[in-house]
This record gives sequence, C-alpha cells and structure tokens, in this order.
Amino acid sequence: MDPKSTLTLVGLSHRTCPVTVRERYVVSQADLPACLASLLQIDGVTEAFVLSTCNRTEALVVAPRGVDVAARVRAQLFRNLPDEHVYVYTDVHALIHSFRVASGLDSLVVGESEVLAQIKRGSDAAQAAKTVGPVLRPLIQQSLHVGKRVRSETEVGQGTLSVARVGIDVASRVFGTFEDERALVIGAGETGVLVARHLKEKKIGGLAFANRTLERAQNAAAEFGATAHGLDELPALILRSDLIVACVEGQTAVIDASVFDKRAIKRRDKPMLVIDLSVPRAVAADVAELDRNILLYDLDDLSRVVNENEKGRQRAVDGTNEILVTELHKFLSLRTYATFSPAIAVLRERFEKVREDVLDQVAGARSDPKDVQLAHELTRKLLDVALDQMKESARHTRSEEALDREYQRFLENL
Amino acid sequence: MIGALQLLGTALPVLYAVCAILHGTAFGGDRWTRVDPLRRHVLNVTLALHLAWFAARAGEIGQFPANDSWSTVSLIAFSTALLYAFVARVTGHSGSGGVTLGFVFVVQFLATGIGAIVPTAREGGMGAWPITHVATSAVAAAALALSGVHGILYVLLLNEMRHRRFGAWFDHLPDLDLLSKMMRRSALVGFVVLTVGLNIGIALAHAEKTPGFDYKLPEVALTILLWIHFGVIAFSEKIRGFGARRASIAAAYGLAALLLSLLMVLLPHSFHSKL
Repeated sequence: MDPKSTLTLVGLSHRTCPVTVRERYVVSQADLPACLASLLQIDGVTEAFVLSTCNRTEALVVAPRGVDVAARVRAQLFRNLPDEHVYVYTDVHALIHSFRVASGLDSLVVGESEVLAQIKRGSDAAQAAKTVGPVLRPLIQQSLHVGKRVRSETEVGQGTLSVARVGIDVASRVFGTFEDERALVIGAGETGVLVARHLKEKKIGGLAFANRTLERAQNAAAEFGATAHGLDELPALILRSDLIVACVEGQTAVIDASVFDKRAIKRRDKPMLVIDLSVPRAVAADVAELDRNILLYDLDDLSRVVNENEKGRQRAVDGTNEILVTELHKFLSLRTYATFSPAIAVLRERFEKVREDVLDQVAGARSDPKDVQLAHELTRKLLDVALDQMKESARHTRSEEALDREYQRFLENL
Repeated sequence: MIGALQLLGTALPVLYAVCAILHGTAFGGDRWTRVDPLRRHVLNVTLALHLAWFAARAGEIGQFPANDSWSTVSLIAFSTALLYAFVARVTGHSGSGGVTLGFVFVVQFLATGIGAIVPTAREGGMGAWPITHVATSAVAAAALALSGVHGILYVLLLNEMRHRRFGAWFDHLPDLDLLSKMMRRSALVGFVVLTVGLNIGIALAHAEKTPGFDYKLPEVALTILLWIHFGVIAFSEKIRGFGARRASIAAAYGLAALLLSLLMVLLPHSFHSKL
C-alpha cells in the first residue's frame, strides 16, 4: 500500500457470527453519517468507509503508517463483542478482503450482486460526509470494478444469485409449484421487490405487499399486479398466506406470535413458510412454536441450505483467484506510482529549468528555433526514460507471484 | 418350469433389494449420478421378471397364480412396486423409491421365504369373482401401503424442515406438496379398489356361506375400518382441520393397521386360510 498510510478493516460477517449477533451491529442508512463522523474522530484516522448489509458490518479506515487504529475502531463499532466474532485486516489483506466482498465471494450466497449496490450506497454516504479521500475513493472504485469483472468473466455471476432466490428455492421444497399458493411480502424495498419478481416467475397464485408506508407498498404492488396493505392488516393477511417473506428495515420485530390467530392456524393444518430476510430480524423466534406446520427460517438457516452445496460453491469461485490477484497487482502498482507524483513533478520542473539554463548559456537570445525544439525533444525523451524506469520499479514493488502467495495465505486463514 | 420358479423366486427379493439400494443411492449425492438411468431399467426388469414368475406359476398349476396366502403377499409386493413405478413416472420424482422399494423387498422376502416354492393347485380352482376379490384386494393393499409410506415420508420431511436440518432427506425427497398428493391419491386409489374387493369378498362370503365368516372377526372388522380410514384420508382435503400433516399421520397409522390386517389374514386360524 501507500508507504505513508495504513489501511485497516474491522468487521463482522455471517462467517464469524450468527444473525442474532449481526442484527445488533447493523448501521442503518440514516445512521451512516454519524457513524462515519465518529470514526473520523478517532486519533489518526484520516479516511473512513462503512459497509453495513444483512451479512456484514465493517469499517475501512486509513491512518498514518505506524499508527494502529484497529483497537479504537473496534471499540467504537463493536464494543464488548468477543474476539471470535470480529476480524481485522490491514493493508494488502484489507484490500484482498474488500475485493472479495465486492466480488460476492465472501457473501452468504456466492456471487450475489446486491452487495455492489450496497457498496455504492455506502460510498455515496461517505462522499456526502466527506470521509473518503485519495486512498479510499480509488479503492472503492476499484472494488466495484473488480466485482463487475469477476461476475462477467467467471461462473460467479451466472444464475442471478441472491438470498431472495435461495429463500424461494427453499419455498419450492415445501410447495413444489406456486400456482395454488398465496404469498405475503412484508417490506417493499429492494429485497421485497426481488422476492416478488422471483415469485412472479414461479407463477405465484396470489401476491400481497405489506409495508409501513402504504404508498410504497402500492408502488411495488402495481408492478406485480399484487395487493397493497399497511402493517395494521397483518393478522388478516397472514391467515390468508402460505408463504410469508419479511424483508423489513427496522430495529423491532414486526411479526410476533400475537399477530397470528393460533386457533385458525391449527385448523388450517397446512405448511406455512415464514422466511425472514431482515437484519435485525423482523419475525420473533416464538412464531415457530405456534404450530407444527409453521416453518420459520432466517438468514442463518438459508446459509445452511447454501453451504450444503459446497461443491457448487467451489465450482462457482473457480477462476476468480487469477482476476483478483491481477487486479490487486494493478491497483497496488498504480498506488505506488501515484506516490511518485510529487517527485515526478519536481523532476520535470528541474529538467525544464536545466534545459532553459543550458540553452541560455549556449545560445542566449540568438538561439535558432530548430535548436530550441531539438533541445526540448531531447530533454523530454530523457525524462521519459527516467519515468519509465520509475513506473517499472513501481510495477515490481510487489510481483504478481508474491501477491498470489499473499492471497493464498489469506484464503488459508479464512 | 419348477427350476424357473425356483430361480425367479430366489432372484426376486434380491432384485427388489438392488432396486431399493439403487434408489437409495440418490441420497448419496452427486457421486451416484451415474446410476440414475439404471434405477428405472432395473425396476422395469424386476417387474417383468416378477410377472414372468406369476406366469410360470399360472402355467404350472393351470390356475390364477395368487392362489394361496403367500403368493397373494407376493402379488401385493408386485402391485406396490408397479404402482410406485407408475407414480415415479407420472411425477418425474423417484426420491421416495428407496423407502418404498425397501418395503417391497421386505414383503417379497417374506413371500419367498415362507411361501412354497413349488405351487400346488387349489382344489376346484378359482372362479372369476374370487380372482377379482384377490386381485383387487392386493392392488388396494399396495395402494394403501404406498399412501402410508408417503405419509411417513411427509411427516419425516416436515420434521426435518422444522428442525432446520437441510440434509439428504431435504435434498432428495419430493417436496411436501408432492408427498401429500402422492399420499392422498394413493389412498383414493386404494379406497376405490378396496371398495370393489371388500364388497365382492362380503358378497362371496354370503353367497357361498363361507364357514367361519363373521363381521365381528378381527380380520374383517379391521379391513372395514381400514376402508373407512383411508376413505377419510382420500377426501381429507375437503375436511376442515384435516390437512396434509394430520392426513399423513393418519396414513402412517393406517399402514400399521394394514400390516396388522394382512397378518391376521395370513394367520393359520383365519377364515381366509381355511378357504
């Protein structure tokens, strides 16, 4: 990385802790500016970026080289959390992790593309709060580029993967076909709409949206020919539904056992699948205890379904290592070269001054324009030779082989 | 002919065991995908050989081949496997094959192991009505057994999913909806065919004044109860509060009652054995 600064990444994800822990550390879009500002207040932190999704919450910060800010960032974001739940990466490993996250390789569902939009949203918030600068801005751009490249050039992007899709796949293990089933989507945000899209593809018999803001539910419902409702109608809607998918942004559970008519559920004697894609969870755990026909799954349960297919997972990530290492090398070379910029400017200035001095001494005011042009050409070419040498040395600061070894070490420690 | 009967009689349980194992390998994951095409072929060959065994038996005795208790049990095994093959073909799902054909193997093993290898002709032969009674009862028993097996699998899969166990059962069994349909439709087929078989049997008992026949006999009473029980299961979709889970549990208990009923029919002191 930049010889003058250190990159530090502190975070937690579905790999290190269950949803019951993750949900306590979610940073909502509304809270992002305050969170970024608090990170910048840590001594030494010059830039900060926060990514908070249903699978992870992590902070990427820049500090002067030699200043260790990891402990303070951790105390700020993940106070009182046991060590095993938190990971800390610095410099190249932080970069590798960022690229892997953007590529969907570290996602609960490998290759899911929602993370790119989430990084973009995090980046917009950080730009607005002016917490990203010359180190993080290009890094985030490069991460997005790597994410898109991995998806377009490998199998990772095939199959339009997402947690919503996994949820619907699980539902098909219950209902088989969806023509006779009625679904209720709680939350009309991006995930809710994605769920509805998958359900429409499966020819769902009936679809309803319920949302805090009725207008938003109406907008989503209009796209899919569904009905729109407010959250106050939940008890009646739940009774009519076979599949309930909750994708709600909020701090409190929207559905608990009291929303269900226990007698009616028992009389129904038909599987009712409740999938909670929200973090924090929107469906209280006691809902599963209401009746033997209620199947309640949260994101951790879906991750278990995904992980059962390790082989498919491995096949999907084949070929991504090469791209990641190449992009790492490219990025680090550019960064190293960028650190030479002030030196290059000084060098160019000196060359020009020496040239002018020599021309003045040799020819003075009587200099032939052809000689002046020749002198200019000569100094420019000499300068190019010197700069090429600098670029070459920047490229070899870290060889691709060394980065590949670093990457393998990173994977071994995952 | 006797040699062929001996050979086929010995081979059939082994072949059904092979069928059950081949269908069971579906639970072993991707390693076993190579045997996928084998499953159907081996089952078809086994069914053809079982049919040949009945033909050889019929040729040997010059009568309907299921003319004693254990050959009727073998007919139940054959009917169950045949019905399963039909269901698997229609639904395109063979996930319940391992369990169903495992059941068929046990039934055929008992039929071969206990039944006589060399068939003996029934004195006076069998008329068209007794043949219809035996054939329909065997097919009904097979359909009800299939319903019971799928009921058990439904409860098992629902339980696995409730406890968030996404293992082999979750991956390879048919979905819950399909299992419940298989369970109900098999019950419907069993109920309809048993209606025919039971009525013919009762009519025959009255017409021929069968000695020892009584409605109070456990084997008769239990069969009538079974007929009502599976009738309710077959139409459970129309009954409020009697959904897939409760119907599946009922079908599983029905299977246990069916086995008990068959046992009663096979016992030496049953009036069927004295016919």
